[in-house]
Amino acid sequence: MHSIVCVKEIPDPETPASAFAIDPIAKRAIPAKDKPPVISPFDEQAVEAALRIKDAKGGKVTVISMGGPTAEKILKHTLAMGADEAVLLSAPEFEDSDSFSTAYVLTQAIKKIGQFDFVFCGRQAGDFDMGQVGSGVAELLGIPSVTLGKKIEPQDGKVRVERAFPDGYEVVEVSMPALITVSNELGEPRYAPLKGIMAAAKKKVPVWNAQEIGADASKIGCTGRHTSMLKLFIPVRESKVELIAGENEEDTANKLALKLREVKLI
Amino acid sequence: MGFTWLDYYELDELFSDEEKMTRNEVRQFMEQEIKPHIIDAFHHEKPLDVRELTLKMGRLGIIGAFIPREYGASGTNYVTYGLICQEAERVDSALRSLIVVESALVMYPIFRFGSEQQKRKWLPLIARGDAIGCFGLTEPNHGSDIASMETVAKRDSDRWIINGTKQWISESSVADFAVVWARTEEGIRGFLVERGTEGFSQSLQSRKGSMRAGDVGELAFSDCRIPADNILPKSAGIGSAFSCLNIARYGISWGVVGAAMDCYETALNYTKERIQFKAPIASFQLVQEKLVKMLIEITKGQLLSYRLGRLMDERKAKPPQISMAKKNNVAMARACAMTARELLGANGISLDYSPIRHMANLEAVYTYEGTDDMHTLILGRDITGISAFEGAKSPKSGNKGD
Repeated sequence: MHSIVCVKEIPDPETPASAFAIDPIAKRAIPAKDKPPVISPFDEQAVEAALRIKDAKGGKVTVISMGGPTAEKILKHTLAMGADEAVLLSAPEFEDSDSFSTAYVLTQAIKKIGQFDFVFCGRQAGDFDMGQVGSGVAELLGIPSVTLGKKIEPQDGKVRVERAFPDGYEVVEVSMPALITVSNELGEPRYAPLKGIMAAAKKKVPVWNAQEIGADASKIGCTGRHTSMLKLFIPVRESKVELIAGENEEDTANKLALKLREVKLI
Repeated sequence: MGFTWLDYYELDELFSDEEKMTRNEVRQFMEQEIKPHIIDAFHHEKPLDVRELTLKMGRLGIIGAFIPREYGASGTNYVTYGLICQEAERVDSALRSLIVVESALVMYPIFRFGSEQQKRKWLPLIARGDAIGCFGLTEPNHGSDIASMETVAKRDSDRWIINGTKQWISESSVADFAVVWARTEEGIRGFLVERGTEGFSQSLQSRKGSMRAGDVGELAFSDCRIPADNILPKSAGIGSAFSCLNIARYGISWGVVGAAMDCYETALNYTKERIQFKAPIASFQLVQEKLVKMLIEITKGQLLSYRLGRLMDERKAKPPQISMAKKNNVAMARACAMTARELLGANGISLDYSPIRHMANLEAVYTYEGTDDMHTLILGRDITGISAFEGAKSPKSGNKGD
């Protein structure tokens, strides 16, 4: 089976708030000094989902990412985890994409790769949390999509997916090929073994530009956007302290409980 | 993935992609899988679950990483092994001890002095984490002067009979087998003794003030009879044991840099946030002087280990060069831990912060694998051509532990 996984490089979610900054004019996050970007955690789980299918059924895993040259590092990481091939989609024209233009570029790359049984994406990117690219790619490819997958079992040309919910899960069956977005309930992604790292370090990651994937210039980057970012800002968080006083411990506890209920915390 | 490390002299430019990726992956593993458990293990002197740990580390291929792939290991270079040690000891010295013991003191002697059959049997098992070994060299009465060891092995037809005691042995209680060094009629030789062999007992030592998260204890041999084939056939004299120690000491030189980096980073963050006299204490000259001294000494230690690692990979490293790195870097890390502890003020004595734990651990590291003084004498002998070890023959001289 051939799985194609779409991954994204994002600012490290562990960046402390004090080191996080944005450029409100360009409407972009400013990369924190000394905090290298990372693979979006849900996308790493998408890689894990693909590798589990490879472990169980054989086949291969191809990982693609649209991003700048530094995204090669996250692709090498996925190769070290056990992916077979990786492709970086990088060109100045891809910059400032929104979910739609990103989905278009990824779709063009998937079409160029050719035959596949699955496309996996993370349930949402760890930076903007849009959660739209996966379904967009499925739509453009004309294949079924299942979101929030936590368990994926292909069988006889169909795939059964358990979809995660806060209070349970539902089981969906779709025909293949299919696109599945993967949720964190899938479980921890594997660590890259040293042998995988050594092999990945030697592998070349090809870079495809707009021309190489046959992309229509009107559909990529900021030209292809269907949405516009109007404002990007760091919210000001205010905190205030209110001391609850009572006649005795019981009275204080009662008043505290009422207050917490009033602000809908209990 | 997103880790950074103290790299004031831009050493990252000198590491290969493979080395950097390994460092980052091992760091993530240590941070996520082990660090959350280390304070409790140290506090309660309850050793980490070595068996579970070695299985996890085996899946990553970080046990005996430098042993060739044909024996089931990863077949990395020595710099990569050093970086693994660095990331392990950044969390705790006991963890780095475990990696060094399995790699340098168990797998290496089997690889270097074992029969092909012994290599095929044990090396893949240890690399995968399916078997754990320990290294029995130090004795209650013989540490630095280990050439005078009392443990003996006598040949009796198709058996060797071992008698003696080994002390301060890492992974002693959990090990499936021990690489044991004993005196024979033909000099000191290495033997493999499996758990459960009659006359072989393994115990755990408690009430330690250092390495409290580690499994450390004693091996006792009382007419312990092992098959004649369990001798390491190519071991010949105390030099064989010392060659293993050199690989371990090299790993330690990297490991303690990790401990020192953790102390420095903890102290730097703390002093930037701790407000006294209405200012972060990092704004005071006396505090900055301490931080800068740590930074300079750590950077020097990084450069020593890096260069030594490349010499190891070119098979050009000499034992005195390893002694220099072990001696310098352990003393450096020990001083950094004390300085960091001091910079944290009263909080510095809490186990909630790492420096005091590193400080206690580094006392053991300062002493084992060749005391600081013994490495001084190794270097002294190398540059003068005169051995100062001869005084050790005097009955008045003391032992300093190995």
